[in-house]
Amino acid sequence: MRWLTWRQFRIPALAAAVLLILAGGYLLSLGSDIREAYDTYQSHCDDPGDCARAENEFRESYKNTLLFLAAGLNLIPVAIGTFWGAPLIARELETGTHRLVWNQTVTRRRWLLTKLAIIAVACVLVAGLTSAMLTWAAAPYDEVAQDRFSTLVFGARHIAPIGYAVLAFTLGAIIGLLIRRTLPAMAVTSVVVIAIQFAAPNFVRPELLSPEAAAVPMTAETINQATNLGNITGGASIGGVQVPGAPDAWVSSTSPLRTADGQPLDKATFNDCLDTPPDTGAGGRFGDAAVCLGDLDLHVAIEYQPGERYWPLQGLETGLFLALSALLASFGVWYIRRVS
Amino acid sequence: MPTEDRSLLLHAAGLTKRYGRHRALNDIHLAIPPGRIVGLVGPNGAGKSTLLHLACGLSTPTSGTLRILGARPAADAVHLARVGFVAQDTPTYATLTVAEHLRLGAKLNPSWDHHLAQRRITQVGLRPRQKAGRLSGGQRAQLALTIAAAKRPELLIFDEPAAALDPLARDEFLASLTAFVAELGASGILSSHLLSDVERICDYLVVLCAGRIQLAGAVDELLSNHHRLVLPPGEIDRLPHGIELIRLEHVHGRATALVRADADASLGRYPVEPVTLEELALSYLGRATTSESHGVDGTGGDAI
Repeated sequence: MRWLTWRQFRIPALAAAVLLILAGGYLLSLGSDIREAYDTYQSHCDDPGDCARAENEFRESYKNTLLFLAAGLNLIPVAIGTFWGAPLIARELETGTHRLVWNQTVTRRRWLLTKLAIIAVACVLVAGLTSAMLTWAAAPYDEVAQDRFSTLVFGARHIAPIGYAVLAFTLGAIIGLLIRRTLPAMAVTSVVVIAIQFAAPNFVRPELLSPEAAAVPMTAETINQATNLGNITGGASIGGVQVPGAPDAWVSSTSPLRTADGQPLDKATFNDCLDTPPDTGAGGRFGDAAVCLGDLDLHVAIEYQPGERYWPLQGLETGLFLALSALLASFGVWYIRRVS
Repeated sequence: MPTEDRSLLLHAAGLTKRYGRHRALNDIHLAIPPGRIVGLVGPNGAGKSTLLHLACGLSTPTSGTLRILGARPAADAVHLARVGFVAQDTPTYATLTVAEHLRLGAKLNPSWDHHLAQRRITQVGLRPRQKAGRLSGGQRAQLALTIAAAKRPELLIFDEPAAALDPLARDEFLASLTAFVAELGASGILSSHLLSDVERICDYLVVLCAGRIQLAGAVDELLSNHHRLVLPPGEIDRLPHGIELIRLEHVHGRATALVRADADASLGRYPVEPVTLEELALSYLGRATTSESHGVDGTGGDAI
């Protein structure tokens, strides 16, 4: 059974190996570029003003490339689910070869489990190696940027991609077993995997460990550390608030701006501060608006995961996805006995 | 019959398979002794494929039981090794070569007979490096047959294997099939809607129509207890005890009846002609189709 699995899988495996080598070469050169740029930025750090400017320059020159690469790495599970997972069983059922192979001296259960196991190992290798290379290449940038919890980055570093890849593959295989047609199974799989990639960071990851809660006072200083004020409905909201004293914490939810008595700040006051703040000549990202809002004695309630939970969260998310994959495989073993 | 069950080739009791509301097989009772080459005949949609898929474990019964060589079909790897199956369209992996198919067989079957497989491939002229996807229908059927046979099963099952083949390829395929069964000392079950195929290689006949068994028995017994009688007018309703009318035909103003006679029934009064297996099967099929609307229970299984 191992021989047959490998024989049927060798062309996809070869394609993956070639892509892996190409990606490795590129990431190696990118990684050394980033290290060189990092050293240049560090060499400017004898003078604090120079240092901040150099840091900004360093971040800006790699921000988009690395974001693009993180998005690219997020495509690997989609590709694996669609091209390795979905056709695995669906193509056999579609072409009728299951009637050949299921009458050899191998039970369906062993046939399925061997296929799933061998290709799952390939998924671990592909996702794990790509992630390791990207994590290495981006390490100096990540250290400076402190955004390892951001949606795209968290799922494209360390071990998290492994969980996504294995789950996408198993899901694809089981969807193929249920739908029994290759192309529809591929289409459904790609949609489901993308839905999981959207849902997991937004709805699952924040709940893996129960978040800490805090009320953050909105001084002009904390407002200037945030990334945006207001939203398209004109509500009194603020985004990108940092936990005071813990810039590496992951803020997973932020309430609208609240007044000292806990009531939401009314829109009119908020918009007055935003549009026509008293002129104080203050600097910072939001300038006079930050001073105007800071004088209102506001606060927001936030939920956050402290920075030291990065690895527990990586482990939990990966573990959860691997457990789901095992569950799907068991369902497949149960279901395949009923296929005729 | 638990003790007898173990030695039977096929034993069905109340076997029913439903697809939605359609009953593909309806309360089948059948017991076939080992060592036979069984021909399963019936029109399209009679339930032949359903029965064979149940027999090799590709599908499971809705109700009733089926035992093949004394065990549930495809119960485990050991039982899978004992039964070889060649599916209707003889599926193979299009991208694998002939040699790789043999390797597949060798890897997946502990009992694989390498020499048998090699010899057969050479005999039928299959080139080892040819991709299965580029083989002709006849060649592909030969390859599928070789894979099924080289694991040395005790029973080989063929689902309409020759249906899609041209006459020459079909002839070669049936010759291979017979040779394999003889060489392995195996039993065989072959479904076909071509009565001539069955007549040529089978020694046991099962007639299936509309999901029910119409007739089942060893060919020599069936031929010896079925007869064609030429009856004078008026005699049809006065057949002696022990003679069952299967089908009546009027040819050139005289009535000929195909009848089943018990061993001790006397036929002396009428001119008797022998019947061929083809006539026999057609008579039962004809009776089944005309009497279907009257709800006649096909109890031909009693003939065993």
